[in-house]
Amino acid sequence: MDAKQDTPEKGVRTPVSTRLQEYKLTFKILVESPSSAVGLLIVLIYSAIAVIDFTYPSLLGVQDAFSMVPDYSNPVPSAPVWPIHPFGTTFPGVDLYQAVMSAIRVDLWYSLLIVLAGAAIGTVVGVLAAYVGGYLDEALMRFTDIFLSVPYLPFAIAVAFVLGRALDDVSIALAIVWWPLYARYAYGQALSVKENAYIEAAKASGVGTLGIVFQHVIPNVLTPIFVQISLDLGTVVQVFAALTFIGFASANPLLPELGTLISNGFQYAVAAPWVVFFPGLAILIFAIGMNLLGDGLRDALDPRGRT
Amino acid sequence: MKLRYYIARRVLLLIPTLLGLTLIVFIISHVGGSARLIGAYINIHSSVPVVVQEQQLMARFHLKDPLVVQYFYWLAAFIQGNWGYTQTSIYSGTVLQAINLFFPNTLVLSVLASVLTGIIGIPLGVWSAVRKDSVLDQATRAISFAGYSIPLYWLGLILIITFSTSNVCSCLNILPISGTVTVNLISGVDWYISGISYPTHVLLIDSLIHGRLDIFGDAVLHLILPVVTLTYGTMASVLRVMRSSMQDTLNQDYVRTARAKGLEEKTVINVHVRRNALIPVCTLLGYTIASLLGGVVLVEAVFDYLGIGYWTTQAMLNGDVGGIMGATVIFGLAFIFANLAVDVTYGFLDPRIRH
Repeated sequence: MDAKQDTPEKGVRTPVSTRLQEYKLTFKILVESPSSAVGLLIVLIYSAIAVIDFTYPSLLGVQDAFSMVPDYSNPVPSAPVWPIHPFGTTFPGVDLYQAVMSAIRVDLWYSLLIVLAGAAIGTVVGVLAAYVGGYLDEALMRFTDIFLSVPYLPFAIAVAFVLGRALDDVSIALAIVWWPLYARYAYGQALSVKENAYIEAAKASGVGTLGIVFQHVIPNVLTPIFVQISLDLGTVVQVFAALTFIGFASANPLLPELGTLISNGFQYAVAAPWVVFFPGLAILIFAIGMNLLGDGLRDALDPRGRT
Repeated sequence: MKLRYYIARRVLLLIPTLLGLTLIVFIISHVGGSARLIGAYINIHSSVPVVVQEQQLMARFHLKDPLVVQYFYWLAAFIQGNWGYTQTSIYSGTVLQAINLFFPNTLVLSVLASVLTGIIGIPLGVWSAVRKDSVLDQATRAISFAGYSIPLYWLGLILIITFSTSNVCSCLNILPISGTVTVNLISGVDWYISGISYPTHVLLIDSLIHGRLDIFGDAVLHLILPVVTLTYGTMASVLRVMRSSMQDTLNQDYVRTARAKGLEEKTVINVHVRRNALIPVCTLLGYTIASLLGGVVLVEAVFDYLGIGYWTTQAMLNGDVGGIMGATVIFGLAFIFANLAVDVTYGFLDPRIRH
């Protein structure tokens, strides 16, 4: 394919320089809007926390990034004291600031995996159904409909329950529950992409069905899918933490995870509000940032919104 | 297509969806292997040895047959109403009986929340779009945006903290923060046994039947915080879609025509815009119901509210297949039929859909 780059293929593919300009323009529109700039900033800060927590946790003041450090001699939550315990401590004597920092990494990582897995499966299924059509369309989309017949949260609870109730099982369950949404979305996008002249041209030049699907249709539905991913990430973080809050992953109560933290603090919530306040706030701020960024991306990538 | 053909077609389309739902539930209940399935039926105090009991149960539930055959046996039993047993800390008995006991409470919560969502969300969305960029519009958008981003159970917890004794102000100590009714008030009442009221299992109705207005008032107070939490969670999306859909409709040619022929702005909004703007909201309702049914699980867990959602979390913690299966069925059915109702309304509102 690369050898033929400057012969007939040239008209089909966008040159790299134009694409780069396109990205620059998108970025410019994005940061010019105050709300999406704030969203981008929040997401960048969270990503930085996650990366630093994984590589140099001591920079954040975190002792152990992979497990909370309990103090069983003093398990009852104590109020925030600057600078030893800026967020206070939570049951069982864990410094809440360190726990929240590491939990941000864990939650971000799992949510990203869930959304990417869901988007990958959903996009392939949706695009194949839309492009090939006929019986495959019916079979794949009815199969998708079956998954959409139960509201996602109870469904995820049921699937995670049969898989085994650990964090990995919760993530697999959420990916299983999440891909149909992407299948539906990619299906709609692919139906319109399919009608383009370049698909006709590829077909005429003898590219096989799978070749067209993976080289021409999927790359052209990726932009809207990407926007959808950024909009979904804020929701998935919430749903993931919701599942751990109601008791999934309770086998390891010392794993830093935002939902588990809220769940650990649940019985102390009234007497020691900070034990549920800070972990929830961490979810809320990330979700706000991700939603602002997602809205901004959608507007920036939509040519009709540009002036 | 006439409306009744459209409805008939839509109802027929339910059959594959319902079969799909049973398939999901079958897989959920059988994935854990046969030991998990028959575990609830084994009586260790019986004179029959456990091994023999296991053999009998394996035969009784056809667990040695191929999976496809098992599915049909299971489906037959399912249709006959034999949904198995549940054993959780809040209830032990048949799954159907548990649903019968817990579903009414969940229904009350969901219906109240969705009615409030409609009453508040739709007019607020309309106002917000009509007075675009006003203070009210900005406030509405902020409220709706926060609603998208806030974890529902966390909002519930924050409300609990706020309204519990003297955390913020003792003047706020007026609302009960968990459960469905005050224990002292209900103790010794013969139509209320271990969290369940009789005969309708809806405390609001039962207390009126038995003429206990004090219990009725107490139950209403207990409903306020869960309903507010759930409403806020579902209202965010309704507000957002109603606002953008109103804006789209306001830019339509027929609205310009209506204004050009000199109609009052009030008439334009009420007669020409609002009804058309409701169509996308109707589509959205399907998703709203999904978020409502998901939210119910979390809200019930946070407020110790004895409904299907609370039962689900208990079943999950107790490793109870029956409860998980029953909850999946009931949430799936509620979702499927709510979507059917939405589609029918949609076809009724917009004749183009029927074709």
